Amino acid sequence: MATAFGNLVMAIRGIGSNWLRTLLTMLGVLIGVASVIVLLAIGTGSSQSIEKSIESLGSNTLTVFSGSSSGSTTGTKIRNSTLNTASVTALSNSFNDPDVKSVSPVVTTSVTATYNGASYSTSVIGSTASYLSAENYTVSAGRSISRADVAERAPVIDIGTSVASALFATGADPLGKQIQLGSSEFTVVGLLASKGSSGLSNQDAVAIAPYTAVQDQLTGESASFSELLVQGKSSATLSLAESEVESTLASLNDTTVANLPFTVIDSASLLSTATSSSQTFTALLGWVAAVSLLVGAIGVMNIMLVTVTERTREIGIRKAIGARRRVILTQFLIESTVISFLGGIFGVLAGILVSHFKIDGVTPVLASYSIPLALGVAISVGIVAGFYPAHRAASLRPIDALRYE
Amino acid sequence: MIIRDEVDAPDDEVIGSRAAEPIIALKGIVKSYAMGGVEVLAIRGISLIVERGEFVAIMGTSGSGKSTLMNIVGCLDVPTSGHYRLDGVNIRHLDDVALSRIRNKKIGFVFQGFNLIPRMSAIHNVELPMAYSGVKPAERRKRAVVALEMVGLGDRLSHFSSELSGGQQQRVAIARAMCTNPSLILADEPTGNLDSRSSAELMSLFTSLHDQGRTIVMITHEPDIAAYASRVVVLRDGEIVSNRPQDASNAVSYELAPSGRYSFGGSGDEG
Repeated sequence: MATAFGNLVMAIRGIGSNWLRTLLTMLGVLIGVASVIVLLAIGTGSSQSIEKSIESLGSNTLTVFSGSSSGSTTGTKIRNSTLNTASVTALSNSFNDPDVKSVSPVVTTSVTATYNGASYSTSVIGSTASYLSAENYTVSAGRSISRADVAERAPVIDIGTSVASALFATGADPLGKQIQLGSSEFTVVGLLASKGSSGLSNQDAVAIAPYTAVQDQLTGESASFSELLVQGKSSATLSLAESEVESTLASLNDTTVANLPFTVIDSASLLSTATSSSQTFTALLGWVAAVSLLVGAIGVMNIMLVTVTERTREIGIRKAIGARRRVILTQFLIESTVISFLGGIFGVLAGILVSHFKIDGVTPVLASYSIPLALGVAISVGIVAGFYPAHRAASLRPIDALRYE
Repeated sequence: MIIRDEVDAPDDEVIGSRAAEPIIALKGIVKSYAMGGVEVLAIRGISLIVERGEFVAIMGTSGSGKSTLMNIVGCLDVPTSGHYRLDGVNIRHLDDVALSRIRNKKIGFVFQGFNLIPRMSAIHNVELPMAYSGVKPAERRKRAVVALEMVGLGDRLSHFSSELSGGQQQRVAIARAMCTNPSLILADEPTGNLDSRSSAELMSLFTSLHDQGRTIVMITHEPDIAAYASRVVVLRDGEIVSNRPQDASNAVSYELAPSGRYSFGGSGDEG
């Protein structure tokens, strides 16, 4: 019996007999392994950025939209139910809604902001001072819009860093400047600290003004809000706050919770939905990569079959001088395993390298499990794909193999 | 029928040899093939004894069954019926693993087409059977060097077979056959691919191996090559038609290789 090391040396010598072919076969495995790692990294990276952006929407918040989420309600009575100041007042009642910390009405619109010839298209959010804390916005300079601004319908505005850098020259102080939003002028009173752009949207391309001013100047007077942002007192009581909000709105609109013409979404459920869909996305990418790894495996098997056929005579010689079935089997199995193992190692290196680059706006995050997974699969691929050819080689009768031309 | 009741030899007996018994004892060997549904008899009952230290040439035209006989003697194939004892071991009942072991330990093959493994150096080729029998790397390297020096290729150790002439390749094959210290050297048309000069060199190598007491069975169809043997067996249509000793000095001597140039002193103990 040849030693394991002897077998390995023999296998490497066998592989060396046709470098180009071996390298191309390895390339198949390499691409398979690298794509497993890169695609899983993209999946992980994008799901992390989605999670981050949802977390930055604010924790412990509920968003109330107009419209029913369930289509199967007894929808014959279509109510003209809107979110208005009455809703805000009702929800702010701490007796009925003890777990609600704040309620911010939200009016949104998109405008082109201009200043001194510079222009920038941004979304403007009309709300109250509580909106900033509920959405985790902080003011880095100046002040936030205040309760008094809302009451006075003052055209003042807090702008995000993207808006500020687009409109103002570097070094210039935007505070106190008048910027043009559509046909109206707003005075910049505060700069929002950067929240970063995370996946879904650039959260710094935003401007926040009192909702009263936005209604006056931009959207036109209207009794309804596009949504209400409700901040709960704590994450533990968020579901309590949710049912309180639902029952308050139901009684206010003279209906039941089941027929509520509003949709209440809490950020945690949004997060779990997004997480599960990004997991599906990652799994899908993983399957795509698995297919390319399978193609690599077929390449290994193909080459091993060719090798066995080419070296039939050599197998005959080896058997004639005393190699047993198991030795021949081991030799060819080691050859295919070495090919796929080397392909796998280089694939891991390539995958790690590629994962350092931003791909399609997603920063890939290496999933720690993907490296042992890809390498393990690559080695199994070598063993499985090599087994049939190796078995064929080992089963050759020496006289037939020796006669083979 | 002494042979008949012998059971499978245990492993240690496979390795050991029984000096009292002939190296080859064939009794009523028949080999038939099914060719397109028709049974073809390649060998029709051959009985043959080859004693220790003999140099036997098996002659015959193509189709005489000499290759089939060589496969059976070399344990590459098993007879359809009959009994074969090689160096005291009954071959009849052995399985694939045991046959591999017998080939490895007891037989040194020299083929017509040299059958070295390409892209492996001379010394690696010689080491291979020892690797299969589990000889330690240092020991097999030493023995391979000795064997190659003895066939006059001490300066060609790391040459690949593509870099060696036919005669040199065949001498590497002989070194490979010798290094396991086999009971039998089985040569199948060893000069078939060689020119007359290399053939003569090779035959004088075989002669000196014979002189050292090696048992050699050589298949050939060339009378002048058979002339080197101490006995010539002629096959025709699967049967022995002639079996007679001869004086090996009848051989045409080219006198190219000084006698004594090739010598196999005790090539070490079997590992």
